Amino acid sequence: MRPENYEAQRQPPSNEFELNFGPNHPGIEGNYALKLKLHGDQVVEAKADGGYLHRGFEKLMEQRLWIQNIALVPRICVPDPSPMELCYSMAVEQLCGLEVPERAQWIRVMQLELSRIAAHLFTFGGHAATTGMYSTMYWGVADRDLLLDLFEEFTGGRVYSIYNIPGGVRRELPDGFLQRVSETLDYLESRLPDYDNLFFKNQVFVRRAKGVGVMSQEQALAWGVTGPNLRATGLAFDVRRDDPYLVYDQLEFEIPTEESGDAWARTLVRRLELVQSIRILRQVVEALPDIRGPIRAPIPNPLAWNVPAGEVYTRVESSKGETCYFVVSNGGPKPYRVHVRGPSSMHAVQVLEKMSVGSRIEDIAQTMFSLDACPPEVDR
Amino acid sequence: MSKEIAHWLDNLLEEIEGIKVRRKSSRRVRVDVPADALPALLELLQGRAGYIHLSAISCVDWIEEEEFELVYHVWSYESHSLVSAHIRIARDPGVYLSVYDLYQPAAFFERDIHEMYGIHFEGSPNMEKFILTEWNGPPPMRKEFDSEAYINEHLSWQNYNPEWLQELIAEGGGIIIPPEEQRFSQKKK
Repeated sequence: MRPENYEAQRQPPSNEFELNFGPNHPGIEGNYALKLKLHGDQVVEAKADGGYLHRGFEKLMEQRLWIQNIALVPRICVPDPSPMELCYSMAVEQLCGLEVPERAQWIRVMQLELSRIAAHLFTFGGHAATTGMYSTMYWGVADRDLLLDLFEEFTGGRVYSIYNIPGGVRRELPDGFLQRVSETLDYLESRLPDYDNLFFKNQVFVRRAKGVGVMSQEQALAWGVTGPNLRATGLAFDVRRDDPYLVYDQLEFEIPTEESGDAWARTLVRRLELVQSIRILRQVVEALPDIRGPIRAPIPNPLAWNVPAGEVYTRVESSKGETCYFVVSNGGPKPYRVHVRGPSSMHAVQVLEKMSVGSRIEDIAQTMFSLDACPPEVDR
Repeated sequence: MSKEIAHWLDNLLEEIEGIKVRRKSSRRVRVDVPADALPALLELLQGRAGYIHLSAISCVDWIEEEEFELVYHVWSYESHSLVSAHIRIARDPGVYLSVYDLYQPAAFFERDIHEMYGIHFEGSPNMEKFILTEWNGPPPMRKEFDSEAYINEHLSWQNYNPEWLQELIAEGGGIIIPPEEQRFSQKKK
């Protein structure tokens, strides 16, 4: 809400007071706000207030050609854009019955996992900063930058790669690229003990995060929680394994879980996922040189492309949880309807509202960052 | 697994009138039901077949048929399959029942659809505006709402021509897009 439209409401005398937490606040991820009702420093009521990042993507997509939309979709989630690209591309492929070449599928896996690591490092950085540990933030952002360098090299874009297109990927990997991926993975692996010592084992963080923002597995299932947040309550569910897409069913990886369901467990699950993502990437780096062939299926003239009528629901495991696209075509040159379901539409709204109640005001940042809520996904 | 799915689908077919089931792939099932039978279907799916996760509720505006299509995507953590239940409701008055008592995530999706399409869900806990807090126009995701026409009608176009750009152009540089080639050219009100 714009400040000029805010009107103070007369309330009966009480010990409670209202606090607008955000939209410009270091304890909030992105531009997002919580309207808190406080008793002392304890939260009595929390209301999520979104819309600061609304760009009307779903409406815009209905007005653009199928191929034009690939430039729009990654912008829906800034820290982890690759799953958005993939979800949209998979939807168009399924509507058209396009068969994606195997090499493109492996390259897509590589892109997704690099993006997942980058997103997790970014989240750790932000999370650490809420406890005053700025060194971790600098490290996280600096190490993410190495991955962005890789993205720049093989896609041309640092943050929004716009690399997946319906039918495959846009361009072939540069010479010696896999070697550089491998070196970056070596470096990241060597950094993990440093991160553990600086952040994950740090008592400043452990004492702030343990027992904060607890949810049980029953609550998580009832509230529609997905991704690492659900796995932190002990349920080993991962779309990559249980509703497999691309070549994830040919890859070996584990699904880390934790039992306690608090901010600490959620962060730890992400830390353990880094190891699994590196493991997946190593398999991709090993397998890719032997998988030769085209990197995309032939598609019709993209400027006069009428996608057959139908509807499809695609799901991808992003770094935040279950990302889904519902795409409807009426046989025309533009999508009839695209519905984006980001995982944060649950985590940042209902879940955060419920978990904030009863907690203290300084724990809200812990809860929000450990949920890894991404406001642009909510606003779309 | 597929046997189990076939089993409960058969049961459902017997219990709900007017239901149409289509298997789209090994883990995707499309179900079309009459609007009044949807709560019963979801209750069966959740209670008997383990579809406890409401992944999303999507809305499609079929303006020519004067109907809204609501699609409920539910996922089972046990049988690893997704059922998309499609219903059609009349565009006018655009009222339907909330499924919040079955699936709590429905509150967000119903609120979102209410905001973007103007469908009222009876029994939904919160129908307040969320994203478009200061929007007084019609629900913007409806097909009859033309965003470009709205902008031309309500906002004025600025002629972006700062001094530094004029200097550049005078020197023979800069990017000049003639008005007839601009996509959003200044249209007459």
